[in-house]
Amino acid sequence: MPSIALREIHKRFGETVALSGASLELASGEIHALLGENGAGKTTLVRTLCGLHPPDSGRIEIDGETVGIPSPRRAQALGIGLVHQHFMGVPALSVAENLVLGEPGGLALRPRSLRARAREMLERWELDVDPDTPARELSVGQLQRLEIARVLGGGVETLVLDEPTAVLAPSEVGELLALLERLRDEGRSLVLISHKLEEITAVCDRVSVLRGGRTVASREVAGLDAARLGEWMVGRALPPRGRPAGTTPGPLALRLEGVKAEGLRGIDLELHGGEVLALAGIDGNGQLPLEELLAGVRPLGAGELNVLRPPLALVSGDRQRTGLALDLSLAENLILPAAARPRQSGMFRYGLLRAGELRKAAGEAIERHDIRGGERALARQLSGGNQQKLCIARSLRARPGVLAVVNPTRGLDVRAAAAVRGELRALAREGTAVLLISTDLDEVLELGDRIAVLFRGALSVVDPARRNRERIGELMLGGE
Amino acid sequence: MRAWIEPLLAIGLALLLAGGLLLGLGADPLAALAALARGAFGSAYALESTLTRAVPLCLVGLAVALAFRAGVWNIGGEGQICVGALVAAALGTRALVGGPAAAQVSLVLLAGAAAGALWAGIAAWLRVSRGVSEVLSTILLNFIALLGVAFAVHGPLQEAAGAYPQSDALGAAARLPRLAGLERLHAAAPLALLLPGLAWLLLFRSAAGLRLRAVGLAPEAARYAGVSPPREVVRVLLISGGIAGLAGAVEIAGVTARLFEGLSGGLGFTAIAVALLARLHPLAVIPAALFFASLATGSGALQRAAHVPKVLVQVIEALVIFLSVGFALRRGGR
Repeated sequence: MPSIALREIHKRFGETVALSGASLELASGEIHALLGENGAGKTTLVRTLCGLHPPDSGRIEIDGETVGIPSPRRAQALGIGLVHQHFMGVPALSVAENLVLGEPGGLALRPRSLRARAREMLERWELDVDPDTPARELSVGQLQRLEIARVLGGGVETLVLDEPTAVLAPSEVGELLALLERLRDEGRSLVLISHKLEEITAVCDRVSVLRGGRTVASREVAGLDAARLGEWMVGRALPPRGRPAGTTPGPLALRLEGVKAEGLRGIDLELHGGEVLALAGIDGNGQLPLEELLAGVRPLGAGELNVLRPPLALVSGDRQRTGLALDLSLAENLILPAAARPRQSGMFRYGLLRAGELRKAAGEAIERHDIRGGERALARQLSGGNQQKLCIARSLRARPGVLAVVNPTRGLDVRAAAAVRGELRALAREGTAVLLISTDLDEVLELGDRIAVLFRGALSVVDPARRNRERIGELMLGGE
Repeated sequence: MRAWIEPLLAIGLALLLAGGLLLGLGADPLAALAALARGAFGSAYALESTLTRAVPLCLVGLAVALAFRAGVWNIGGEGQICVGALVAAALGTRALVGGPAAAQVSLVLLAGAAAGALWAGIAAWLRVSRGVSEVLSTILLNFIALLGVAFAVHGPLQEAAGAYPQSDALGAAARLPRLAGLERLHAAAPLALLLPGLAWLLLFRSAAGLRLRAVGLAPEAARYAGVSPPREVVRVLLISGGIAGLAGAVEIAGVTARLFEGLSGGLGFTAIAVALLARLHPLAVIPAALFFASLATGSGALQRAAHVPKVLVQVIEALVIFLSVGFALRRGGR
């Protein structure tokens, strides 16, 4: 009998459906892996269990009895605790103080007993630090262990960990996994959100796979392989075709050779004019470092990055933060890159704006890219789709030979997404070299003439003969 | 709501609240308001005093507004004024030799502006190379500048007579002439109209201004677009400090003729209120400076005629600041 069961959980946030019939059965004394693509609903599901997102409908059962978990406090009372990826305590307080921070009636603690209690807890959870050390002086791994000790301190029997190894160095991962096994052997149940196959096969007993807000599979880990998990994770729909046979790519436009930087372990790629090279992968495997490198805001550590058909333009993956200045107008956002190099742009004379040129440029962009909004409208007032069209319009103003786009349709509705994809395809047809970095596998399959997968800061190229979801899903999990 | 309504509402509400306070104290608020207005605008002399007072407020308010637009919190107007005044006084009383009057006075003003820019440049350097918050560094530089003035007027720049801690008067050729037909308003006063206009052009019609605003509104987006935020920070602090330093030099050359302690008298801080009331718009700085200047010049008449303590004016100033910041917060703006 499962000790905890989530059944038919539905949850929506405004227009977005996060969960539509997800379930999870957690037996006592097991480590249960939760796997799924970005946006599949993993985090929402565990947050439901922890009282952070009460479900719209569905049942939560503990030992067969239906319970409501409307708040984190209630979850705590039921012995359910969540370990966040990052330390949630107070960095300036000592380790001992952090350990008792959440405890009730901790006002009149005497330092001596506090330290003794802390020492006992630290010993128990194999954290070899002085209880008087300020938490901010601890390493990431130590902080995480402190966080686990903090959560366990409240008498927790069910522990949920949201991608705990994502922030750890490889050497720290093994120690964490050992601790998780020990917690299980002491009779606790654990839910582990993870994208890493070897972690799942190393310590987990069962695995549930979420796709599109539903649980699509739930079974024993023993005997599973990456191909099988990948297939569950990404589905089995027929892949669209790649580049039509018989077309040849244009001249070489971008070449990366052994490119290393913080977060990138060595990237080699060649991109030709007229083609779309799509980089799939689960978020956090080097997408952001690569984007920042191309934007020129992250230094190149080693290797060579050559733009053979300049300029290279980038449509940032985060429209609201790095793509647009939301409180500047549509027209001002359009010419911001020109303002960075006023002399080459033709938009300024003696550093002063040529009003006629600006109006012309804004009018053209609005018409050609079908942006719904006036040139004086603040970027903030545009819908997500129109913001994205503005970003693309802006990057095209420089007539780039290479266009890099990151998650170009994230957060857009179906129509806006189709418009953006159509535009990218048209650009490639006209000879632009397009580098698409996307965590959306459908998009990668639809647009990519060639596909490669980013995994832990390195690329694996997908053999055209094996261009299917199963294969890509396998590579996204680090399969060979 | 239109942009100018909120500041007017803030002023109106502040006056209402101050009126309520007066009623509570048993005074007649309408009479007090009338006295305040008479003191600020009631005669040619009063009007000229208000305008003369508004000139530095306008300049320094503009300096603050420009920096704030770039997300640079220059709280150092006070110090930059002092340094500008100090250098202007040193040149005007000692070092400067000969030349036609126009050249001498221009040199004095330019030197003051350069000194202010350099002083703010220290904060810029600290922020860009060491990551020191400009809020802290500009405040601390204020103290250094104030003490620098104190040292100068007790030491190297003290008047030859040695009676008071003040400098000698500037030579006639280094002083700003009055505007034709006026007793107090000096020839640099039109700068308070001209510079806001130039600043408006810079902010809203130039590449540099777009970069500057982008850095203030969305530094990450600016960086991705190829703008270098540190460079813009340095640039705007130099401009801001330069204008504040110029204001200090203008006070010496056009109003006091001598350097003494307390010359700036909190001008650098009132200027922050001016900039906030103007909602950082360079042209709105002009009426905002006039408003605060009229409070200052009217306060004497208020005390004499309506027997209301001068400090009421400070209460009104504080209320205006609170209310205009409050409106901005309610709007969710900056």
